[in-house]
Amino acid sequence: MDFEALFKQFLSGDVAQQASILRSLTIFLPELVLSCSIVLMLVARLVSLDRIIPTHWFALLGGMASFVIVLFQFWEFGNSQTVPVEVFTGLAIHDEFSIFFRGFLTFFLVFVIALTVLTGIPDDEDAPDFYSLLCGAVIGMMLMSSANHLLMLFIGIEMASVPSYAMTGFLKGKRRSSEAALKFVVYGAGAAGVMLFGISLLTGILGTAQFSELAPRFQAVFASHAGMQDPATRCVALALLMIAVGFAFKLSLVPFHFWCPDAFHGAPAEVGGFLSVGSKAAAFALLVRLTTSLAGDGSGALSQLSLSCGLGLGLIAIVTTTFGNLAAYSQQNIKRMLAYSTIAHAGYMLMAVSALLVLQSVQTDLVFQGNHQENGPRAMEGLLYYLCVYLFMNLGAFAIVALIRNQTYSEEIDDYKGLAQQVPVLAICMAICMFSLVGIPPLGGFYGKAFIFASVYEATNVHWFMWVVLAAGGLNTVISLFYYLRVAKTMCMDTRPADAVPVSMAASSSPALYVMLVSGMVVFLGIIIDPLSKVALHAAHALF
Amino acid sequence: MGDVGLNAYLMVGAVLFVCGVVCMATKRNGIGVLMGVELVLNGANVNFVAFSRYTSLGLDGQTIALFVIVLAAAEAAVALAIALNFYNNHLTIDVDRGNELQG
Repeated sequence: MDFEALFKQFLSGDVAQQASILRSLTIFLPELVLSCSIVLMLVARLVSLDRIIPTHWFALLGGMASFVIVLFQFWEFGNSQTVPVEVFTGLAIHDEFSIFFRGFLTFFLVFVIALTVLTGIPDDEDAPDFYSLLCGAVIGMMLMSSANHLLMLFIGIEMASVPSYAMTGFLKGKRRSSEAALKFVVYGAGAAGVMLFGISLLTGILGTAQFSELAPRFQAVFASHAGMQDPATRCVALALLMIAVGFAFKLSLVPFHFWCPDAFHGAPAEVGGFLSVGSKAAAFALLVRLTTSLAGDGSGALSQLSLSCGLGLGLIAIVTTTFGNLAAYSQQNIKRMLAYSTIAHAGYMLMAVSALLVLQSVQTDLVFQGNHQENGPRAMEGLLYYLCVYLFMNLGAFAIVALIRNQTYSEEIDDYKGLAQQVPVLAICMAICMFSLVGIPPLGGFYGKAFIFASVYEATNVHWFMWVVLAAGGLNTVISLFYYLRVAKTMCMDTRPADAVPVSMAASSSPALYVMLVSGMVVFLGIIIDPLSKVALHAAHALF
Repeated sequence: MGDVGLNAYLMVGAVLFVCGVVCMATKRNGIGVLMGVELVLNGANVNFVAFSRYTSLGLDGQTIALFVIVLAAAEAAVALAIALNFYNNHLTIDVDRGNELQG
């Protein structure tokens, strides 16, 4: 009854309880800073301050400030305490995992704002709207990553989705942009509705909406009823399936991926880059939180639930990766190709979640001795590392697409022929991003994939089906080689047609430096993996 | 007035949900699809309120329902703006006419 507790806290005026609210507000500071910068941006336009100070400075400073606050929280958490704190009477949770994702998202926000400043996609007139939507979506994603209650889950997803719909249709007077936004909003609203109905059934049967109480309540329901044949158990299964629909939409998993290529094709490339990394990362954080709290300690009926969820996600992961890679193969438009590549990468990352659940299902068995306790966190470490590398390689690819579009007004792969002769910087950085997306060894993408496949391999000890997942992952990496390399080959090996629009960019100009920084990080994460993987493992331990 | 019990409320919620899903699947008019979404959300709300009365969910259920009403309004506002934008560019809100993005 956390809402009752919350209301009582407000009404009674107890000093100790007010202190707990103050503590929650302090923890909530990064989100509050972002909210303040949204208000500032809108007020600045009201008083015509945005003519003097460009709006992106408000957004950029707000994003940086909240990133610094998250860093400070990380430092504080490492020094003083190791116990997760429930904030706002248990609606959200504050632990290393949520700090990791909030840091990830605010860092990403700063990079996206910098990109939009360099490419100039919102003009001065629209900038306050665009940056408010962007910051609002990031606040929603941060709520998703720290949710500890089914209501926060839904609010977070909606807060992240609704601004995304608007940003997709942000280009006015473009037929494609408006069509993309309409498709996105129709699918998105439908999926959210189905998910909410699933949540209502789950909360009703388990009698709680608190994540930490889901597992014990589920065990109690399962124990008091006669197993899978019982209506209550079936209803829980149906509810979980409906919630899975909402997640599948957010993660663009087959068969709920239709919106993804259309939305990315119609939206500006910057928005595509934002959606492909930000909303995926937040949705994975939420999925991991929900599934690990459902799996609980993996005893009794929970073991069965965890195993079947894990295998189900594994099957979806296989279908998603295969479909994404095969469909990307025939694309002519680079944004569409990157959208299918996003679908495929969501499949790879889902393999980590699947491996995690399968490994969790034998937590209490003593059959697998040794470092078995470490396997769950290891799978999570793989997912977090992959997400970090994915941030740079995907953002880099979308940034290059946006920069080339600004000069050639084209996003067809054929128009990229021989760009290496005119802008070697962009061509080389694009090649680095593409090679990393395939997972070629010296680059960051390789280690992300290696971590995930290693944990899937560990999971093969538990269930034979994980061998199929592992084989599908390996095969898909080979398939993906062809279409990623096609882009690199078109840019670097072909000759530029004489009638093509010339592209020019000095190697020391700020867009070129931005692209070099992002793809440099991809190389860096492939060579020096230790600091980030340690932080990822540390964050992963918070869940267990 | 006797108490009709939890199942009657759940039945209403389920009927609203099914009506909404059928509406989303069959309507070709963009506004019609959005109305289907509203039906689904309200079906879930009926469930929440009923569960808060009859199960240990308590006040949580009612609070969730209140939040969902607000979220539904926000979503409808954005969706209608997008539908209007689509109409301005295509002179129709038939969702099947948005067929330029394919592949």
